[in-house]
Amino acid sequence: MAAAKSETIPNPSCTDPSKKDEKKRKKVSEFEYCKVCKLNHDQGQRHKYFPSHKKSLSIFFSKFQTKLSDVGFFLRNPSLLRSEHASRNRVWCVFCDMDIDELGSEFACENAINHLASADHMKNLKHFLWKYGGGMDFIDKFRIKEAEVAKWKKKCKSLKSEAESSNKAPDDIHNELNYVNTTSFNIDNTNIYSVNSRNSNSVMPLQCHTNEYQVSHSGLSEVANAGLYSADVASSSALETHSGTSSIDFSTGMPNITQIFVPEVAGGNVHTGAPPPWFDAIEESQLNVGPQPVLGSFLSSSNNSGKSKKLNPKRVGAAWAERRKMEMEMEKRGELVKKEFDANWLPNFGRVWQSGSRKESRKEFEFEKQNLSKVGSQPAEPVEILPYISKRIKSEERQPLSEVESQPAETVKIQPYISKRMEFELGKQKLAKVESEPAGPVKIQPYISKRMELQLEKQKLPKVESESAEPIKIQPYISKRMQRDGSK
Amino acid sequence: MSYLLLRTLTKKQEVDSIIRDTIDKVLVLRFGRSPDQACLLLDDVLAKSAREVSKFASIALVDIDSEDIQVYIKYFDISLIPSTVFFFNAHHMKMDSGTADHTKWVGVFRQKQDFIDVVEAIFRGAMKGKLIVNCPLPPDRIPKYQLLYKDI
Repeated sequence: MAAAKSETIPNPSCTDPSKKDEKKRKKVSEFEYCKVCKLNHDQGQRHKYFPSHKKSLSIFFSKFQTKLSDVGFFLRNPSLLRSEHASRNRVWCVFCDMDIDELGSEFACENAINHLASADHMKNLKHFLWKYGGGMDFIDKFRIKEAEVAKWKKKCKSLKSEAESSNKAPDDIHNELNYVNTTSFNIDNTNIYSVNSRNSNSVMPLQCHTNEYQVSHSGLSEVANAGLYSADVASSSALETHSGTSSIDFSTGMPNITQIFVPEVAGGNVHTGAPPPWFDAIEESQLNVGPQPVLGSFLSSSNNSGKSKKLNPKRVGAAWAERRKMEMEMEKRGELVKKEFDANWLPNFGRVWQSGSRKESRKEFEFEKQNLSKVGSQPAEPVEILPYISKRIKSEERQPLSEVESQPAETVKIQPYISKRMEFELGKQKLAKVESEPAGPVKIQPYISKRMELQLEKQKLPKVESESAEPIKIQPYISKRMQRDGSK
Repeated sequence: MSYLLLRTLTKKQEVDSIIRDTIDKVLVLRFGRSPDQACLLLDDVLAKSAREVSKFASIALVDIDSEDIQVYIKYFDISLIPSTVFFFNAHHMKMDSGTADHTKWVGVFRQKQDFIDVVEAIFRGAMKGKLIVNCPLPPDRIPKYQLLYKDI
């Protein structure tokens, strides 16, 4: 890009170097701010011819044009401006560098229209075009001619007068019809609007406003707001009174929107705070459908507000809980009479001293319970303490011994300890001396050693005849030595 | 002071109904005698934390001196009081707290928070499907006792 060049090297071929120097010497201008391109440049007057600037300029103009398009619409179709919407409708006039408010105006874009028609604005516009280069045809686009303004003012006056007159006869439909027939669409619109202004909900315009706002350009232009408002006012009026569909073709820049007739919903709507239709539908379905297991869980889950209350199906006692819930629901509804559950019902409990599953422990408990009930009053000693009985004796008991005294069936007689030898002898004696010996206690014999026995036997054998019934002489113990000594 | 009076149950039928009707909530049953000192301590802790746990637990007191309840005393092997048994959806919940008896909590809770922690641990385990849970308290807060078999 050709920046400010320094002085050129003088061309030797040039005859008049100073002139050429002047020509070739580019002016070094100061930095200026270009409103259109939004940048500072030092190109001076050349800047407006650059292609980049031209591009930005066209964009700039188109933007402002859209903002003014609503103004143009209202120029042709004046409508009353409501005070609440006035604050929204502001235009920034780029040529005059000033805001145009609609605070005091009665009609939509009144101030804007007046401004655009004013001489000051004209002056600024021309200056702008000169500075930034737009061409003279743009002048007409960005201003309003006086003739048009005059027309507009007339319409405004008629609007006013009609508004006043229609206020006097509010329910005079015939008048309205007349107006519809005779007057133009504009007046019709305004008339309906005036009817609407009394009846309409402050909320109604908002509905359409948002619709159209979305449909139309998304720019947050103030004039756009004004345009939107006026459009939705018109449309809201159409909603209430028109019974059919009508497509209102807005001014340039806005797509065709078809209005539909919305019948008043009996249940109300969002703005009246009524519950949404799907909510009512669900309630109905709940009432109509009979009790079913699916419904039971649905009911309980719908009762729980918000959270997805699908409880873990693996949780402890899930099956029990579901069943019990069902029972309770049915009880609530009075279908199922409350059962008197078993008095012997016991919860699922794993006992302390039992091992194994809980069912087993419950069974054990039941068993114990039964035992207790059988015995009745418990004995003083829960367990009878019995003396120690060896297995041997027990096994003997089993063999019936006729000679043994009859023993009581329950208790066992305490017997002294009898060694095996003694028993053997007892057995022998019993067999041998059945007659002689009375059934008394066992005779305790003195201890005779084997040696003595042998001697005795020796003595016995030779002297069988002599010593028949003599008892065995008990001789004192005399040692051999003594015997020898004695014999000596 | 919002003191919630806990329900005291004296009949088996009442105990049955409360076990059966508490659904998806931990049921805390305290077995003991109201005038007993340890029971008083425990009851105080229970009453004060009843509201905090009310969303996932319900608490009731059972008087062991009533005749009807003797069945339960035998069934639950209650030998020391106060004893607290936990249920969830009519199923008994065990807790391993390092003591001999896992089927119940014997003794008092030192703080409200201890009790809440215990009930929370039980609830979490129950929701996952576990019948026995571990005790979240440190061992010094768990009351120690000796469990004797049939008083021998």
